[in-house]
Formats: sequence, structure tokens, C-alpha cells
Amino acid sequence: MEATATETKLSEPQVGRRRFLAWLSGVGIAGSAVLGSLATFFFIRPRTTYGQPNRFKIGRPEEFPPGSRIAIDPKRVCIVREGNKVAAISTTCTHLGCIVAPSATGFQCPCHGSRFDVDGNVTGGPAPKALAWYAMTLTPSGELEVDKDSEIETGTYLSV
Amino acid sequence: MSKEKNSIGKSLMGLPANVARSIFRNPLPSSDRGRAATSFTNFFLHIQPVRVSRQALRPSYTMGLGLISFFLFVILTVTGVLLMFYYVPSTAQAYDRMLDLRSSVAFGIILRNMHRWAAHGMVACVFLHMCRVFFTGSYKPPREFNWVIGVCLFGLTLLSSFTGYLLPWDQLAFWAITVGTSIAGYAPLVGKAMKFILLGDATVGQEALLRFYVLHVVVLPLVLTIFVAVHFWRIRKDGGLAKPEAEAAPKRVQVQVQIQDEPGPMVTTATVAVAAPPRRFTIQGLVRGPLVKVGKLEEDTVFSWPNLLVAELFVLLLTIAGVMLVSILFNAPLEQPVNVMHPPNPAKAPWYFLGLQEQVSYSAFWGGIGVPGIELLLLLLLPYIDRGKEGVGRWFARERVLANSIFLLFVIVNISLIVIGTFFRGANWQFVSPF
Repeated sequence: MEATATETKLSEPQVGRRRFLAWLSGVGIAGSAVLGSLATFFFIRPRTTYGQPNRFKIGRPEEFPPGSRIAIDPKRVCIVREGNKVAAISTTCTHLGCIVAPSATGFQCPCHGSRFDVDGNVTGGPAPKALAWYAMTLTPSGELEVDKDSEIETGTYLSV
Repeated sequence: MSKEKNSIGKSLMGLPANVARSIFRNPLPSSDRGRAATSFTNFFLHIQPVRVSRQALRPSYTMGLGLISFFLFVILTVTGVLLMFYYVPSTAQAYDRMLDLRSSVAFGIILRNMHRWAAHGMVACVFLHMCRVFFTGSYKPPREFNWVIGVCLFGLTLLSSFTGYLLPWDQLAFWAITVGTSIAGYAPLVGKAMKFILLGDATVGQEALLRFYVLHVVVLPLVLTIFVAVHFWRIRKDGGLAKPEAEAAPKRVQVQVQIQDEPGPMVTTATVAVAAPPRRFTIQGLVRGPLVKVGKLEEDTVFSWPNLLVAELFVLLLTIAGVMLVSILFNAPLEQPVNVMHPPNPAKAPWYFLGLQEQVSYSAFWGGIGVPGIELLLLLLLPYIDRGKEGVGRWFARERVLANSIFLLFVIVNISLIVIGTFFRGANWQFVSPF
């Protein structure tokens, strides 16, 4: 009985070291894998894009007289002003990404015939959802800024 | 002096034979032992077993679909690497390079055609191979996990084909990818982020082209190759292709062999006679699982060399011939260069996603994400749900009539959706008759 105990004790330090190394390697490699995956995720997720910026200034509020609906095609956004409230409505069709044009009843897509009302809600055609409304801010310099990365609820205006 | 000369002469004389012998360890085999040795001493042949069941060689059983898929992948790799010598993943140059392939590069047209048609063929063959495996009940234990790997391979094949679709940078490519990625964008929570990471920007543009290129030529083929290797390896380790119960080797058998010698000859010495101790051998637990070959070995199996090898080479020949024929007859489509402002009407995804696009036209979330997600999950879990042991290794076994009917329905519904999306949908995704 005692002999076995001594034997186990004698061999224990070696097993202990090996087990420790195995544990260390396992945890270390698994940890590296997790950190590596996270790093890869953040790496391939672009922080800057090379296309058009999604956040841009479009001019002073005076440039958009009350009651006007001015579409800025290159930016794919339509600035709507009612009284002293302004809003930016996307002019990218929610169907397949064509550029919609303002019409008497709202917006009309030239590609597949989707129709939207003045607030961008779908009134006909294949479009699956309403045109997006983008958040607007008034910069300290007094210019209007549109942020296409943040969509807001339909009917949310900015007072100027 | 003369001896030295002689030995150099001899070496020179024997050089070709010696080199050949050092490469090929066996001369062309004439005996069964040689056929076995040829199979397992050659790196490329040792992937295959020495003997293979007759069932696995029957064309009516496998239709060679898995092998055709693999050979198409090989053709795709070769033609793809060649095309890379001329392709530039830039929105300014990609389309011009396509035109150059047509006009100034020797064999450019045929290479591009082969690559395009082999890709479509691979999508089709992998799917048909999956159908074959289902209808012959070949995903039953111990082959459950190989089915899962197969489903992953199907997904990787679709992704490879999809990422390649964008590279010509023509109207077809651009709008197919725009539609395809907007389907991905309908996924809840992760959809938008997934689309953004995939495109590298808010819309399909230079970043998307570069990302799809890297995925298409490096990432996906590499992952696909690893999965193919594991898929093949597991076929061997799971006991070859699925066989009907009667022919299948018994599973999980512990083999216990006892060989007891005849009492040894009396060894007579001057004083005593001692019987040599009886020898006793026990083989226990060395070979477990479905690898054990017992019973009607000779009738059920034949040597891989030459039976399997010839069959494989013939399938390779047919595959190459088929791809060449289609590539000579039909040119891969190339439309106008990308015009971001003017999508074609209707704008369609690649044909294998048209079933999905048809579903999306009914409900964006359920058609694009909900139903396909459930289908994929069921496919992955299938061998763990259907645990019945009957009807393995036979086409449309009567015992599996329920499972086969459900799967047949799944296949018919999906093919119908693709046919509707391809031929019956016109401008604004309106129903049109192709006739």
C-alpha cells in the first residue's frame, strides 16, 4: 500500500508538469484562436470606405425654401422642407436600388414601377418597404448634415 | 580501370530503368499481390482501398456524381488559375480584361467558357449527388457526419460560384450580386452587418469586387479542398460506399482469432523429449468498426487496380468531354459593362438563387431567410433525426418511402421555384409565359 503511494508521489511532479504544459497549450491556443477570430472580424469590417461618404453636408437651410422637395441624385437623398422642419428621405428604391424621382404624388421608380407617397411609404409596385429617412443635424457652422448610416422613423423632422 | 569504366557504363545503361523503378515501386502488376501493392505504395492510389465493392462500381448505383463534382472542381481549379494570369480585380479594368480574353488571348474564350460551365455543372452535380445519397439512404450511421460535411460542401460550392459571378463586372454580374446580397441583408440582426462586411461598403463597388475576388480565388477553394479531403477520407473510414444490409460488413465486431497449433513435433534430444509449447495468438480490438472485412470477401469485392481506376479515369474523360463540348457550343454570357444607374428589368440573381429570389418576392424575411434557414438546419440535422436503419444502399428502398417522399417533395418544390424564377418571371417580376 505504502509502496504504491510513494510511487505515485514520485511520478507526480512529471505528470503535473506535463499536464500543466498541456493545459497551458490548450488554453493558450484556444485563446489565440478566439482573439485571432475577433481581430479578423474587426479587420475585415471596414472602418473607412472608399466609396461615397455616408455622412455629408448638403448646405445651409436657406437653400431649401419651405415647401420644397429637392432631390440630390449623386447623394441619393431628397431634402424635404415643410415650414421650418427639414428631413432627408432616401431616393434609393428599396426594391433593387434604382434612383427614384420625386413626382406629384411622392416618388416614382423608373426601373420597376414602384410608387411611394410623399413620406416614402409604398403605394404600389414591387418595393418591399418604405424609403428610408436619414438623421439630420445642424452643424455649428450652420450647415445641414445628413447621416445615411442612421435611419430614423418616418415623419421625424429636424427643426431649423 | 576497366572495371570502373564498366560500372559507369552499366549505371548509364540502367539509368532509365533505375529512375523509373525508384519512382514507381511496382512494375505493372500481374498478380493479386501486385495489384494490392500498386494500390497502397502509390501516393495517389493509396487514397483508394485495395479492394472495392462491386456495388460501389455500378454506374446505376452512384451515377458517378460525387466523382464528377470532384473532377469539375479540378477543372475549375486549373482553368481558374490560368484565368488569373490575365484578370485584374478592378472596376476600371475587369470588364476590359473579359473583352481581351475574347479578342486577344489565345484560347481565352474556351478557358472562360470551361470555367463558367464547369461552375454551373458543379452546382448541379453536387446537388444531384446529395439527392443520390439521400435516395439510397447512404447517410445512415456510421456516415452521419460525412453527410454533414457534404451539406457544407454544397454551401461552399454555391458561395464559390456566387463570388465568381461578380468578377466579369458586367451588368449581369453586378445586378445578380446586388440582388443576391440584398437577400442576405434581410436576415435579422446580423443581415445588415453581414452584407456590409461582404461588400466592404454600402453598395456593390470596388471593395466588393476585391473581396469577392479574394474569397473566390483563395479562401473558398482552400476551405473547399480541406472539406473535400475530409469527405474522401471519411468515405474510406466509414467502410466505403453504403451497401445493402446483407452485403454490409458487420459493424462494431470484436474479432477474436485463436490459432492453436497442432502439437509441435517432438524434439528429441539425447536425454529428454519436450513438446514445443502450443502457440496461441489473439487479435483483439486491433480493427474495430466497419473496416472489418469478413464473409463473402471474394464475391463482393474486386481489386481497385484496375477496376476502380479505369472507372474513375473513364468518368474523368466523360467530364472533360462534356465540359469541352458545352464550352465549344455555347459562349459564357457577357453583357454590357456595369451601369449603376440602370438595372436590367428584371434583375435576376444567378439561376441557383432564383428559387430564393422567387420566395423573396412573396415575403422578404420568410422567403429569403426563414424558410431557407429551416431547410438548411433540417438538412444538417437529417442523419440525426432519421435514425431508421432500414433501406441502406438501395435506391428508393420501400422501407424509406416516407423519408424519400419528403425529400422528393423538397427537391421538386425547389426546382419548380427555380424554373418559375428563371423562365416565368419578366419585367417587374411579373408572371410571363416563356412560350
